[in-house]
Amino acid sequence: MNAAIQASGLGKQYRRAWALRDCTLAIPEGQVAGLVGPNGAGKTTLLRLAAGMLTPTRGTITVLGQRPAAGPAQLARVGFVAQDTPVYSRMTVADHLRLGAWLNPGWDDHLARQRISQLALNPKQRAGSLSGGQRAQLALTLALAKRPGLLILDEPVASLDPLARREFLQGLMEAVAGQRLSVLLSSHLVADLERVCDYLIVLIASRVRVAGEVSDLLASHHRLSGPRRDPGTLPAGQEIITERHTDKQSNLLVRTDGPVLDPAWAVKPVSLEDLVLAYMSRAGNDRPASPQQLKAVS
Amino acid sequence: MIRLSMLQLRVQAITAAVALIAFAVLLAATGPHLASLYAASGLRGCQPASCGQRANIFLQQVDSTGPYAAVYPLSIILIALTPAVTGLFWGAPLLARELETGTFALAWSQSVTRARWLAVKLTVGGLAAMAVTGALSLLFAWWAAPLGRAAGLGGSGNSLAMNQFNPLAFATHGITPLGYAAFAFTLGVTAGALIRRTVPAMAVTLAIFAALQIAMPLWIRPNLFPASHTTVAITSDTTLNLFTTDSPHTFTFTLATDGLAGQPGAWIRSSGAADAAGHPVSTVVPSACSPAASSSGPGPALANCLTSRGIRIAVTYQPASRYWPLQWTETGIYLVLSLALAGYCFRRLSRLS
Repeated sequence: MNAAIQASGLGKQYRRAWALRDCTLAIPEGQVAGLVGPNGAGKTTLLRLAAGMLTPTRGTITVLGQRPAAGPAQLARVGFVAQDTPVYSRMTVADHLRLGAWLNPGWDDHLARQRISQLALNPKQRAGSLSGGQRAQLALTLALAKRPGLLILDEPVASLDPLARREFLQGLMEAVAGQRLSVLLSSHLVADLERVCDYLIVLIASRVRVAGEVSDLLASHHRLSGPRRDPGTLPAGQEIITERHTDKQSNLLVRTDGPVLDPAWAVKPVSLEDLVLAYMSRAGNDRPASPQQLKAVS
Repeated sequence: MIRLSMLQLRVQAITAAVALIAFAVLLAATGPHLASLYAASGLRGCQPASCGQRANIFLQQVDSTGPYAAVYPLSIILIALTPAVTGLFWGAPLLARELETGTFALAWSQSVTRARWLAVKLTVGGLAAMAVTGALSLLFAWWAAPLGRAAGLGGSGNSLAMNQFNPLAFATHGITPLGYAAFAFTLGVTAGALIRRTVPAMAVTLAIFAALQIAMPLWIRPNLFPASHTTVAITSDTTLNLFTTDSPHTFTFTLATDGLAGQPGAWIRSSGAADAAGHPVSTVVPSACSPAASSSGPGPALANCLTSRGIRIAVTYQPASRYWPLQWTETGIYLVLSLALAGYCFRRLSRLS
């Protein structure tokens, strides 16, 4: 299977700070991939690199086999909805559709009009007076009607209320089902992605912590609880993501490709949200531990 | 892409069209009468000896009749300001607003490369800005043609008969307005690309453009071509000033002229007392001329006495024939600056987030 996005050693530096580091990824084509991580983790940077808005400082990235924004043909294959779904506030909805038709050779006017009428948007209304949800839908319509092979959405639902959020994601899913389309969308909330994604990338503090198909991730992560024991005694191949110990008990979240055979453990499946939170809290522990923490562990 | 930039310029274009039409109506309403006054003045085919006088009569007549005395400076101000206005309100927001509101991400994710997007926006906007200023200046050139001819025939001493090198006249006639319009526009675009906020970009555009428009006539334009030098005799047109000094019966004087006989329309850069070779001479009135100075002041007697002592006026000037070379050179400078700024915008945009 071809990769929708392939990155190798990708990094982006702004002045001094690295917004993204050592990012190596291969997101398969034809999937809805979710990019999740806390605010400021580098999600926007990764998406902008993929959309060709930014050029990498280090490493390489290819999108559908080519360098992002390499030319008009490559631009036509990638739809991008930036954060806060910007639209021209002084232009009408109809103006936006005209803009799309003028600037995209593969423009699907029928699809665009159909979506606008489904959404009950008034074509004569200025985009500046649309609600947040309507604006996001207009931006999505523009991106979909150019008939891209890959659709990139940066926090498309972050500023929407729960209803608009559900409608937006529903519209997105319908469009994906109708077109042969890969999607990469980001959110700082797992709940948004859980229902729509087949693939998940967890990005924390400018590094990719885990990436894979959602079903594989869920199958390979387990919550273990049992009598207190030294984490060093776990069999090889079981990687501890988080651990919590009381006097008598140990609670672990481990990653392993094989089954957990030790009968001392009670094994429970993890939810996607637990999994992401586990990686987030582990990333927090990467920081040098304070003396107090060291004492607590020993 | 061309259609999109025209769509985005719609509001500005309508504003400009309304202003242009209002200006055209004003000039069309007053121009024919001005032309008929000229026709009645007898300036066409006048004898060289009487031309200057007739020109002055015509200019005074124009100055005191109808709205011309107001329309003329108003038009000059309008043409001088238009490049700045288009630079501020068309140029500065062109990129700044897209960067400020984030819509650049929408524009750059269409199937048009960033470079083409900028090229079209710069071309459409820049040509529109040049067209507006050019149209204003052409309309005005048509309207003011009789006044220009009268000034060329020696009419002077009237605000309607500006020398063609007068900074305001030079900047509003010929082709220089086109250069200013192109430069102010690209300057605005560049400021917007660098500052990324519309209002500060407008302020910076105004400051830099105004500074250059002041520096140009004062320090740059006079030095584009080496000036010509000549010495002429003191005449009745010479401005002769006399100053007393601390010591009795000793005076100093200055000589100046604002025109050269046989060189109508020349641009006088400086003038002062000199000997026949053009070397500056002492500005102390020679003792032989002191009686004339103390008895009749800075009058013909003193002038004759100074002349008899070999004192002449050295004049540094640009001949009238330099008008078009200067127009082309200055416009060229502004166009080259515009291209350089546009080139910088492309570089900047290719690296911009």
